[in-house]
Amino acid sequence: MAAVTAAQPRASKTESYVDNKRKEDIRQANIIAARSVADAVRTSLGPKGMDKMISTANGEVIITNDGATILNKMEVLQPAAKMLVELSKSQDAAAGDGTTTVVVIAGAILKQCLSLLSHGIHPTVISDSLHKASTKAVDVLTAMAVPLELSDRESLIKSASTSLNSKVVSQYSTLLAPLAVDSVLSVVDPEKPDMVDLRDIKIVKRLGGTVDDTQLVKGLVFDKKASHAAGGPTRMENAKIAVIQFQISPPKTDIEQSIVVSDYTQMDRILKEERNYILGMIKKIKATGCNVLLIQKSILRDAVTDLSLHYLAKAKIMVIKDVERDDIEFITKTLNCLPIANIEHFRVEKLGHADLVEEVSLGDAKIVKVTGIKDMGRTTTVLVRGSNQLVIDEAERSLHDALCVVRCLVSKRFLIAGGGAPEIELSRQLGAWSKVLHGMEGYCVRSFAEALEVIPYTLAENAGLNPIAIVTELRNRHAQGEINAGINVRKGQITNILEENVVQPLLVSTSAITLATECVRMILKIDDIVNVR
Amino acid sequence: MAIERILKDDASEEKGERARMASFVGAIAITDLVKTTLGPKGMDKILQSTGRGQAVTVTNDGATILKSLHIDNPAAKVLIDISKVQDDEVGDGTTSVVVLAGELLREAEKLVAAKIHPMTIISGYRMAAECARNALLQRVVDNKENAEKFKLDLMKIAMTTLSSKILSQDKVHFAQLAVDAVMRLKGSTNLEAIQIIKKPGGSLKDSFLDEGFILDKKIGLGQPKRIENAKILVANTAMDTDKVKIYGARVRVDSMSKVAEIEGAEKEKMREKVQKIIAHGINCFVNRQLIYNFPEELFADAGILAIEHADFDGIERLALVTGGEIASTFDNPESVKLGHCKLIEEIMIGEDKLIHFSGVEMGQACTIVLRGASHHVLDEAERSLHDALCVLSQTVNDTRVVLGGGWPEMVMAKAVDELARQTPGKKSHAIEAFSRALVAIPTIIADNAGLDSADLVAQLRAEHHKEGCNAGIDVISGSVGDMAELGISESFKVKQAVLLSATEAAEMILRVDEIITCAPRKREDRM
Repeated sequence: MAAVTAAQPRASKTESYVDNKRKEDIRQANIIAARSVADAVRTSLGPKGMDKMISTANGEVIITNDGATILNKMEVLQPAAKMLVELSKSQDAAAGDGTTTVVVIAGAILKQCLSLLSHGIHPTVISDSLHKASTKAVDVLTAMAVPLELSDRESLIKSASTSLNSKVVSQYSTLLAPLAVDSVLSVVDPEKPDMVDLRDIKIVKRLGGTVDDTQLVKGLVFDKKASHAAGGPTRMENAKIAVIQFQISPPKTDIEQSIVVSDYTQMDRILKEERNYILGMIKKIKATGCNVLLIQKSILRDAVTDLSLHYLAKAKIMVIKDVERDDIEFITKTLNCLPIANIEHFRVEKLGHADLVEEVSLGDAKIVKVTGIKDMGRTTTVLVRGSNQLVIDEAERSLHDALCVVRCLVSKRFLIAGGGAPEIELSRQLGAWSKVLHGMEGYCVRSFAEALEVIPYTLAENAGLNPIAIVTELRNRHAQGEINAGINVRKGQITNILEENVVQPLLVSTSAITLATECVRMILKIDDIVNVR
Repeated sequence: MAIERILKDDASEEKGERARMASFVGAIAITDLVKTTLGPKGMDKILQSTGRGQAVTVTNDGATILKSLHIDNPAAKVLIDISKVQDDEVGDGTTSVVVLAGELLREAEKLVAAKIHPMTIISGYRMAAECARNALLQRVVDNKENAEKFKLDLMKIAMTTLSSKILSQDKVHFAQLAVDAVMRLKGSTNLEAIQIIKKPGGSLKDSFLDEGFILDKKIGLGQPKRIENAKILVANTAMDTDKVKIYGARVRVDSMSKVAEIEGAEKEKMREKVQKIIAHGINCFVNRQLIYNFPEELFADAGILAIEHADFDGIERLALVTGGEIASTFDNPESVKLGHCKLIEEIMIGEDKLIHFSGVEMGQACTIVLRGASHHVLDEAERSLHDALCVLSQTVNDTRVVLGGGWPEMVMAKAVDELARQTPGKKSHAIEAFSRALVAIPTIIADNAGLDSADLVAQLRAEHHKEGCNAGIDVISGSVGDMAELGISESFKVKQAVLLSATEAAEMILRVDEIITCAPRKREDRM
């Protein structure tokens, strides 16, 4: 390993010097670009983190605290900076939360790498050491973690509220956290207890009211009103629901067709035929006892016409039209019914049953709620309310994060303290470990350990505390064996963070560390940017 | 009378010295570009696309870098071509071949400057290449007879290939994956049977080999999610409507009920088609095109699992591994070959649901599911794994193995040096130059690792002076080490291909003494 440093000054005398200079420059440019991305989101870390207002290219305004969303909308161009954006996306996919944390950690490691590189350490050596350090870090974290039972609803709520506390909607965390926990738990399949498909949780956003009015609906919610242009029913008890993928409108063929009308009486006849055709369909529907129709949106022809609505109203059938095709799977799963693609296949056994389908007005808009579904599938709907679109969007993002947190806990049932405690503990243990390592490795691992202190430092800084005093005190406490000491941002001091109920899933922390390291290693290994087709 | 103009307006002509110079410069520039990616401590490049979306690729694979470059120099294009051929033929060594060709040209440039005729250089290079190949042939190890040892060889080769890639940290894991996958092929080089699926999330270590076939599609609504002893019909047919493909075909009717009749008839036709398909006695139907709601429901009613919109790649592979045929007409059930597999079920990887076919007819088939932090990582991992698979499948056919880490180059250089001393005439200069070009490869490997290359290569040369030496560059410890002990091996076939195609390319470029650039075709909207 000693040869590595020895070779550096000697190499500089040869002609390859110019080449290497350029390569160093590119690496440095990459690191600086990536770090500036990390700096951009740094201030939004933690419960007292600030929000960003983003005005997008099409004039839309987004206010958010979610790292992944900020980075996503930033439209960075520099390739290395783009990799950090990707990193945040990956964290979003892997854990759903900690999207800011992962970027901040990557930025801090990069900063350390810059100084390591300037000492003449070869990038691959740094890269390998970082990998070792991150593997070790995961071990340390796992050792710190507290196992959790799914039945322990309290703990689940605690970790969901830790995630929510850093968001705009933090004052509603008491409402949203249990909501997130309940909705995830309700979709857990007892046969496959480790798997949660968040697609089984539908979030419906509706303007009006406040976030306080957000509720979990055991059933289905449609973000549209029932079609009752012709005075059809808006409330149906003992509903028999059919999901149809055909249209109740005049026939239309795939082959191009035209009806040739030669005189007035023929026109009359055509009108009559059209009426009979539709009436025939509706009679068949009525014959099965169906009284609620969900009609899939069609681009080829009208789903319903005024005429068919009229007949449906007469037959006392409630109609909800323009259901998106993507939603059909969710709906059929929830209602435990089958979609019907043709009138000929309209049979009783394909219908779903619910106690009540009703149109409810919320503010100035209306929604349709389906409740009391018989043999309901493992799905859940959350109705998010808010006073303006910005709040609703942010509430949805925050809720998504909280759902992800709970999902993480379901798939990997370990909790870890929050508030910077795991990071500082990692930093301490890795620092100690680096002393027993030999050569460059030890040096790089120590830098890695130092980089991790960025999390408590930033947390304190964002909370308006003195970061240096806080971090040194934290270090001190951890050295004395209080591995769960962390920053209590509300009280502005250091306390045992586990007792304060600030907990987060282990998966979030471990994946943040491994993903950040992987990304940094990739950036380090790049020595050239080539423009290609 | 002087001829005024032979060529067109914009066409240009470069002759003699200048032409040769242009090709040398182009080729050497390309070499310098990719040479930092060589070896286990080689660096990566960002490829920034200037096209739409400004897509970013991070790679270490020579062929990928070269393939995507904008090149205007004809000689550089030749180098890119040999790298492509190397990729197609053996899959690995794409950087080495370009670097060796570049070094050969660099040496040739000096010789030309010393007034040695290009033809003399070429014949010297030819002799040297032949000699180098023979020298290598004498030192190959062939463990064909011993299955245990051969498997170990494969592991070593896979690890060596992977160690220069992004997968280096988990190379043991991936080498095992690659070897297992290739061993399943039982000697065929048909890599089609190995499918690679990339799913973001998790880490590279979570990647796994699955025996069977995984299709990244969804099962239709209301259809069984699990089928045992599946009979699969793979098809490429329109499942919306069979349209009359004559332009302007239309029907004229005089009443609404007739329109309804036509619609009914269309539906009926579809139903017939579905009935015909069902009549094949299948319980799984995979279509390349969309399956609309109506037929989907019919399939659901018949309890058949229907998968729509499986792309070309998907159905071809599926047809291959299940032993079926892709059908597009369904009139003769007896003549259509159905695919079979033991079990079809829905599985979940990361956040996505996929369809898993296990116990497929073609036992060789398997799927490697790659997991990783981001798309960049996954793409690069796929390229790396592909290289390893290619090399391994080649090695299974040609079981000769040589050591790695600059060892083969040193062995060849030594033999070529010997030859130079025995050859009378100017050719010996060329042969000597060839040996210098060979030594350049270990030099670059050492340079990339930040080691003192001059010192190491000198040591290496001294070591190789002894008979039967296994010395090569141990990049990890930064010294000269025994390659056999370190388990660094390469496939003989790759090395041979590198040697021969690099020599050929260098020869081709050397022969050039005139470059004629044709007038660019006029285009209105050049990209």
